[in-house]
Amino acid sequence: MENLDILEEEAIHILREAYGQFMRPVLLFSGGKDSTLLIHISAKAFYPAKFPFPVMHIDTGHNFPEALTFRDELVRQKNLELIVRKVADSIREKNLTEPRDKFASRNTLQSVTLLDAIQEFGFDACIGGGRRDEEKARAKERIFSFRDETGAWQPYNQRPELWDIYNGRIHKGENIRVFPISNWTELNVWNYIRREKIIIPSLYFSHPRKCLHYNGQLIALSDFIRLDPGDSITTKNVRYRTVGDMTCTAAIESEASTIDEVINEICRSRISERGETRIDDRISDAGMEDRKSKGYF
Amino acid sequence: MELLRFTTAGSINDGKSTLIGRLLYNTSSIKQDILESLSVPGDDNAMNLAFLTDGLRSEREQGITIDVAYKYFSTAHREYIISDAPGHFQYTGNLVSGASNVDLMIILIDARNGITDQTKRHSQVASFLKVPAVIIAVNKMDLVGYDEGLFTQLRDEYLSVSTKLKLPDIQFIPVSALVGDNISAPSEKMPWYTGKTLLECLETLVILNDDTTSLRLSIQCSIGLVYLGKLLAGKIMLGDTIMINPGGRLSTVEKITHNFKEVKEAQAGQNISLSLTNDMKARRGDIISHSHDSPVCNTNFTTELCWLDPTTPLETGKEYFLKMHSMEIKCRITSIEYKINNDTYEKDNFDGKVLVNDFASVNILVKRAMAYDLFTSRKTTGRGILIDEETNKTSGAFVITGTPGQYDYANLEMIGQKKQ
Ligand SMILES: Nc1nc2c(ncn2[C@@H]2O[C@H](COP(=O)(O)OP(=O)(O)O)[C@@H](O)[C@H]2O)c(=O)[nH]1
Repeated sequence: MENLDILEEEAIHILREAYGQFMRPVLLFSGGKDSTLLIHISAKAFYPAKFPFPVMHIDTGHNFPEALTFRDELVRQKNLELIVRKVADSIREKNLTEPRDKFASRNTLQSVTLLDAIQEFGFDACIGGGRRDEEKARAKERIFSFRDETGAWQPYNQRPELWDIYNGRIHKGENIRVFPISNWTELNVWNYIRREKIIIPSLYFSHPRKCLHYNGQLIALSDFIRLDPGDSITTKNVRYRTVGDMTCTAAIESEASTIDEVINEICRSRISERGETRIDDRISDAGMEDRKSKGYF
Repeated sequence: MELLRFTTAGSINDGKSTLIGRLLYNTSSIKQDILESLSVPGDDNAMNLAFLTDGLRSEREQGITIDVAYKYFSTAHREYIISDAPGHFQYTGNLVSGASNVDLMIILIDARNGITDQTKRHSQVASFLKVPAVIIAVNKMDLVGYDEGLFTQLRDEYLSVSTKLKLPDIQFIPVSALVGDNISAPSEKMPWYTGKTLLECLETLVILNDDTTSLRLSIQCSIGLVYLGKLLAGKIMLGDTIMINPGGRLSTVEKITHNFKEVKEAQAGQNISLSLTNDMKARRGDIISHSHDSPVCNTNFTTELCWLDPTTPLETGKEYFLKMHSMEIKCRITSIEYKINNDTYEKDNFDGKVLVNDFASVNILVKRAMAYDLFTSRKTTGRGILIDEETNKTSGAFVITGTPGQYDYANLEMIGQKKQ
C-alpha cells in the first residue's frame, strides 16, 4: 500500500475505535487544515452512514474572520452538528484574568473553556488533529491519550499502547484524547489535501495583508494585538502555514496560491511548521508540555 | 512511496538519540530553526543531536529518554517513522509500545561495553513481538580504533546469546553515530566492512505485506445494519459466504463500501463497511471469516505474556479485561507455567510473582467463547493486552502460543472447525 493509503486507513480505524468504544465522542475543530482533513476522513470512515458525532469549536474570540466563515460553510455543506463554546464567556463567568501583553494570547484560557464544555456535554472522548511531527511533547503522546479528572496529561505515566489495540477504558470524569492523524507529517497532510481535493480556508494561500513586522515575524493587524509607537507596519503577500489565533500565529511571505505551489514551498522551506508560525511556542522550551498538563488539546 | 517503520533500542548512552539525529541530519530532515535549538552553549561547532528526540522536560534535565518519541523523515523513495524507545528497563512498557508496530528494530551496542542486560532485554522484546527484521548497530567504533576484531567478537557473542530467541535474519553494522561512519556513506576508517551502510539497509529492507492468506475481518461497530470493520487479514468479495465467529452463523456479503464507493472486493489493511443478506446481530469484536478457514473458537489458551504494570504484579484468579483487535472480554489467569529468564532465555522455575518487565507463559480463561488464531500463524488475531479492572491501566501484553486440548462443552461443536 502507498504511504498515504496506510495513514488514511490507520486514521479511519482509530476514528471507528473512538466511535465503537465511547458513549459520547466529539471532534474538536479549530478551523485549520488538520481538523478539516479529520472531518473529511471521518466522513469517509462512516460512509454511507452520516457523520456520527458532533463537532466542537472552542472559540477564543481571536479567530481569523476567514476561519469562521469557512467553519460555517463547512458545517452547512457537510450537515454537521456544531457546538461552539466561547472563551469570552468563561472569562466573564469565572472572572478569569486575561493576559495583557502585546500579543495577549487566550491559548491557555482555552483549556478552561474546553474542560468546562467536556463536563457540560459529558464527552468521554475528544478527537483532535494533533500530529507528532509538530512539536516534541506531541511526539511523545499516545494515539489514545488518557487525561485524568482535571484534564491533565501525565507524560510520565502514559499507558502502554501496542499494535492497533487502543485502551479507552476510563472512570467517570476522566477523558481520552484521540489523535487519528498522529503519524502524519505536514507534507503528508498537504499531499492528502491535494489528492482528496479537500477545501481549506483561503488563509493558507497567498493574499495581501497588512501586518506588523515584529521580531522577524509578520503578525496580522487586528483588534486583538496592541500597537505601540514605532511599530513597523507593512503590507505583504502572505499566507499561513498553520492557522490558530490571530494573536499567536505568524504569517509567512509567500506567492504560493495553489496547492502545488504550497507543497513546493514547504519542500524547499528550511524552517519547521511551528517554528515559522507559532508565537506561543517560543515562550518556553516546554510550552506545549506545560499547556497539555493543564488540559490543553 | 513506501512507508517503513522502525524502532531503535539500546542501553542509556549507547547513542540511540545521536544515531537518530545523525540519520535525520544526513537525510537533510532537520529544519534550520530546530538545528539552532540543538546547539551546545559555549561550543559553536558542537551539536547535541540527542536533543532532537528528548521531548519532555525531565528527559532533558536528566539526559535520558523516558517515553517513545516518534520522528519522521523521508528519502527519495521511502518515508520513515522512527519510534525512539527508552533504554532503561524501567521503561520496557514504553519500548514494547514503540516496537509493536515496526518492520525493523535497530539494537545499539556500545562497542566499549559489549552486550549488556539491556541488549538482552531488547532482543527478548524483538523476539516476543516477532519483529520482522533486526539490525545490530555496533556504535562508537571511533572510540575503539575501528577495530575489526572487536566487531567480529561482538557479533559472534551476540549470535550465540540470541540463538534461543529465534530472531529473524540479523544484520550487523559497525558505526559511529557521532562521526557518521557507515550511516549514510561507507566508512573510510573501516575498509574491512563491506556490507551495507545503515541507510542502505533501511532503503532496501523488504517490507512484509499484510497477511493475505485467510479472511479475518474484525467488526468495530455497526450503524443500522451496516457493519464497519477492519480487514486484519485476507480478502473479502461480494457474494462470499462468510461466517461470524464465535457462533459460526453463516451469511452472504451483499455490499462492500470503501473510500466513498461500492467495491467488489477488499484486502487486508483496508477498513470497509459491509452489508450482509440477513441481520446477523454481529457484535463489536466478532471476527468474520470464510467458513472453510475459520479461527479457533473457545474459552482458554496459552500465551506468552510480558507484564507491564510497574505497581501491581500479575495475579492468578483475578479478573482482567482482555482486549484483542476490537474485542473486549473479561478473563482470569488460570495458571502461570513458567517465567522466562531474562539472561539465559531459559524457562525459570516459577517463583510466585510475575512482576513488571517479566516474560512468562500464562494460561488464560475468558468468560465466553472467543475467536482467535495462534500468533505464529496469524499475528493480528493472535495478540492482545490485559487491562486492570480497577485502574484501567494496560497492564500486560500477550501473544497466543497454544490451545490446550480441553474445551467447554458449550463449544464442542467448534472442534470440527478448528484449524491449527
Ligand atoms: N565517540 C562517540 N560518542 C558517541 C557516539 N554516539 C553517541 N555518542 C555519545 O554518547 C553519549 C550518549 O549518546 P545519546 O545519543 O544521548 O545516547 P542514548 O541515551 O542512547 O540516546 C553522548 O555524549 C553522545 O555524544 C559515537 O558513535 N561515538
